[in-house]
Parts: sequence; C-alpha cells; structure tokens
Amino acid sequence: MKKTKLIFKYILLILIVLVFLFPMVYMLAGSFMPQSQVTTMLDFTNEEYKNIELIPEKASGEQYYQVFFRRPEYLEKFWNSVVMTFPTVIGQTVVSALAAFAFAKLNFPFRDKLFFVYIILLILPLQVTLVPNYMVLENLNLLNNFLAVILPGTFSAFGICLLRQSIKYIPDSSIEAARIDGAGYFRIFTRIILPQIKGGLVTLVLLTFIDNWNIVEQPLIYFEDEGMYPLSVTLGDIGNSDFGIVFACGVMFMVVPLLIFAYGQKDIDSPFISTDK
Amino acid sequence: MKYKRKEAFAALIFILPSLIGIAVFYVVPYIICFVKSLFIGNTFVGLNNYLELFTNKTFLLALKNTGIFTVIAIPLLMLVSFLIALFLNSFKSISGFFRSSLLIPVVVPIASLVSVWQLLFDDYGAVNGLLNYLGFDTVGFFNSPFSMVMIIIIYVWKYCGFCVVLFTAGLAGVPQHLYESARLDGASSFKMVTKVTLPMITPTTFFVFLMEIIYSFKIFREVFAIFGDYPNENVYFLQNFINNNYYNLNYPRLSAASIVLSLFIVLLLLVFYLFERKNSFTQ
Repeated sequence: MKKTKLIFKYILLILIVLVFLFPMVYMLAGSFMPQSQVTTMLDFTNEEYKNIELIPEKASGEQYYQVFFRRPEYLEKFWNSVVMTFPTVIGQTVVSALAAFAFAKLNFPFRDKLFFVYIILLILPLQVTLVPNYMVLENLNLLNNFLAVILPGTFSAFGICLLRQSIKYIPDSSIEAARIDGAGYFRIFTRIILPQIKGGLVTLVLLTFIDNWNIVEQPLIYFEDEGMYPLSVTLGDIGNSDFGIVFACGVMFMVVPLLIFAYGQKDIDSPFISTDK
Repeated sequence: MKYKRKEAFAALIFILPSLIGIAVFYVVPYIICFVKSLFIGNTFVGLNNYLELFTNKTFLLALKNTGIFTVIAIPLLMLVSFLIALFLNSFKSISGFFRSSLLIPVVVPIASLVSVWQLLFDDYGAVNGLLNYLGFDTVGFFNSPFSMVMIIIIYVWKYCGFCVVLFTAGLAGVPQHLYESARLDGASSFKMVTKVTLPMITPTTFFVFLMEIIYSFKIFREVFAIFGDYPNENVYFLQNFINNNYYNLNYPRLSAASIVLSLFIVLLLLVFYLFERKNSFTQ
C-alpha cells in the first residue's frame, strides 16, 4: 500500500519535471533538424494540426552552420547582448555588495528609512522608471550608447536587498572580534563578509545576468540604430523572417545563462535556506 | 540612538556609489517625471493629465488587462508553487536534479522559446490538435480572450520553479516539533497546513509575493516576444501603453501613466504588508 503510494508520487514528480524541461528539450531537438523540416513544422498556413516532433528527420548541423558562418548579423546581435550584460552584472554585484554590507551591519542615521526607499525602488517596474530615465539619459547625452542600458542596470536596488539578506545571517560577533583585532571596515568586508556570502553573490550574478540578457524594453527605446539591438529583441522577430534557423539561434542564446547556472547551481539556494534563524 | 561617528562615516563610504547611482538614475528622474506629469508644454495644468488619462480608452483597456492579470496570475502562481513545494517536501530525500530542473524555465531566455509557444498554442498547434482530437473546438490562443490564458500559463510555468525553491527553503525552517504536537492533538493534514505551516512561513510568503509582483511586470517581455508591439486587445498591458507612447513622445501622458502605475504597485504592496503584519505569528 505504502509502496504504491510512493510509486504514484514518483510518477507525479517525473511528470512535473517533464513539464518544466519540455520546452528546452524541444528547442534542442529542433536545432538539429534540417531547415526544411523546421520550415514545414512552423508553417501554419496549410491548416494541418501539428504534432510534437522531437526527432530530427536526420541529424543536421545546417542551422548552426547558417548562424555561425552565413548570417553574421546574428552573431553581431549576440555580441551586443554580451557587451550590455557583462558590465551590468559586474557593476551591480560590486555596488550592491558594498552597500548591502553597510545596510546589514553598520549603524548610521536614517538607515532604515533609506532602505525603505530602496525597497520601493525595487518594486517599481521597469516601465515606470523608463520614462524618467529617458529624460535623464537625454540630458546626459547617453542615448544611442550602450551605457544607457548599462548604467541604470548597475544601480538597480535588487542586489542590495538580496545581499543584505545573506549578510544578515553572518553573526555580529565575528565582526566585533575583527574590530577588536584592529581590522578596518574595508578589511572586514573583504576578509569576513565576502567569503561568507558566496551563495548570495552567485544567485545575484545569475539573476542579474538573466534579467539583462533578456532585456527588451530599454534598447527599443534608447537606441535608434537597430544594429545596436541585442539578440533578445531580434529573436522575437526572427520567427517571421527566418524560421529556418530559429531553433539554433534560440539554443545559442540560452547556452550562456545555462552554463552560468550549471556552474553556480550548487551555491544557489543557500541564501534562501534560513534554518539557522 | 547614538551613532558612532567613525562607523557612520564608513557606512557612508560603502553606500556612496549606490546612493549616487540611485539618485541620478532613479530618484531625480522620478521627480522630473512627477513634475512633467503636471504640465503640458510649459503651462501648469494640475491633475489634468491624469484626468485625461482616465478617459483614454486605450489606457483604461491596458489598466483593466493589467488588473485582471495581477489578480489571477499572482494568487494562482502562489498556490501552484506552494502545492509543489509541499509535495517535494513530502519526500524524505530528493535529488538536487529535480530542484535544478524546476529552475530551468527562469534561466532559459524568453526569446528562445517563442517558436515553441507557437507550435504549442497556434490555431493548428499541438494543444489545439489534442483538443480537436478530443472533440473540442479550436481555441484561438493568439486572437481571443484565451490570449490572456496563454500568457498566464506561460507566466506560471516560468516562475513557478523559482517560487518553489523559495517556499521549500521556508518550509525547511518550520520546526518539526510543531507538526508532532499538532499530530498528537489529532489535527488533520489540511489543518496542519493551514494552522501550522502557513503562519510559520509568512515571511517567505511575503518575499515570494514581492518577487511575483516584480516578475509579473516582466511578463511584457513574453507578450512582446510573442505578439510584437501591438498585441490583441486581450493582452494589451500598461507596459504596451507606455512603450507605444514613446513612439509619439507624449511626455505628459507617459509621465502621468508612470506615476499611476507606481501608485498602483505601492498600494498593492502596502495592502499585503499590512495583511502580513496582522497575521504574522513570528513577531
């Protein structure tokens, strides 16, 4: 009796996992299909119901060949994505870690009030800040410049809130001990805080990366030159013009965040595990 | 409370970079935005821009859709991810593989999956094929009220895993002895969830709620990837409204819309915050 229940639970578990993994597997399988197969698959005009085809007619690297050697514009867009994302992620991690330390462990006037302002800024959706930001960027002469995306991203309040949470779990006693030994605040920050919030940092890097990698709104508004658009903007359109290579492009685009995820995942949920509360 | 001078000074140095950035890219723009929303050109018009906004049909449509989405999708996502977290928690031990696979949808970029959604949800896509086989009519996911259903499904699918991870972390923090004493008192499993688990994980729930609001506004990216600039009227959200108004650069209207959207969210948050305070057992 207990055993059947357990079997059912495992079946349910596997079903849940399949639902979550399926679209990715689909992309991957699709990317090895020859272009002709993909084209018929995505052609909805012949009024026939589509089956879910997971098996390529014949394994083919055709799509990848097209993307990498025949269609340089997609690699250019990919590079735009890289140029916009990496500096933002690095900038935000550094700025956030510094400020989060102050908010979590140092006493100063108006600390909690200031933090409340940060929380509100964190909640406000991007679209709301886009308009005001546009005006400032216009005045700073940064429109049509990658910095228009990088700078506001760097100073997002999200990282501060996340890292503050991880730093809070570090006991005050270890900081006081270092103070007594004569360590300055910066030394405490680099020697005591940073090594202990690895999980938080990895989570922040991953989430910021995903967020900026998927950027859509800002480039549309801040850049006039479509050549500056990142792949995240162009991929939405590709389905209409180039669906022969859509799967390969999609895979190329998702590989980077997946690699970061795979690399960091063992550290990732530690900031959320709060058993020692 | 007295502050040590040296400590306060050090703190200032640590937050200075972020403070400058936040001021330049968020606070100052906000003030400019608010001021602009009270003017047309150089004449002060008071709240006229706001009043005009609320008579604008497109804006009202966008507001309605955003409201519907928020009210349905956020509680739904909360419920689904909580149930999955409870389910995962009921296993004695579980491989990290399952948790990682739940996080995959957050990691995979939206734009990568557009064609997959098309294959699934098109009029002649796989879902309709199945429905048809079972004898139901074709559901027009791309051009009927079902567009909203599709967007909600995608939203729940995408962020569910992330919320599950947050919830499982919260569940792990509930002391086991509470369950045992409840069991000794003869509580049913349903009672245990509502009377022990839920009150104990309120801080987690609050955090999940926060993240869900933030993510619910990112749904625009899916809408954009699937429908482009002009989605059908069932999934025309406030973000579409704001984005499209850039093209005619109507600053007063844009600013007013931004302020309204901000107030909407702050209000939502405030309600939940007060609710959480009232029901929290941890304080």
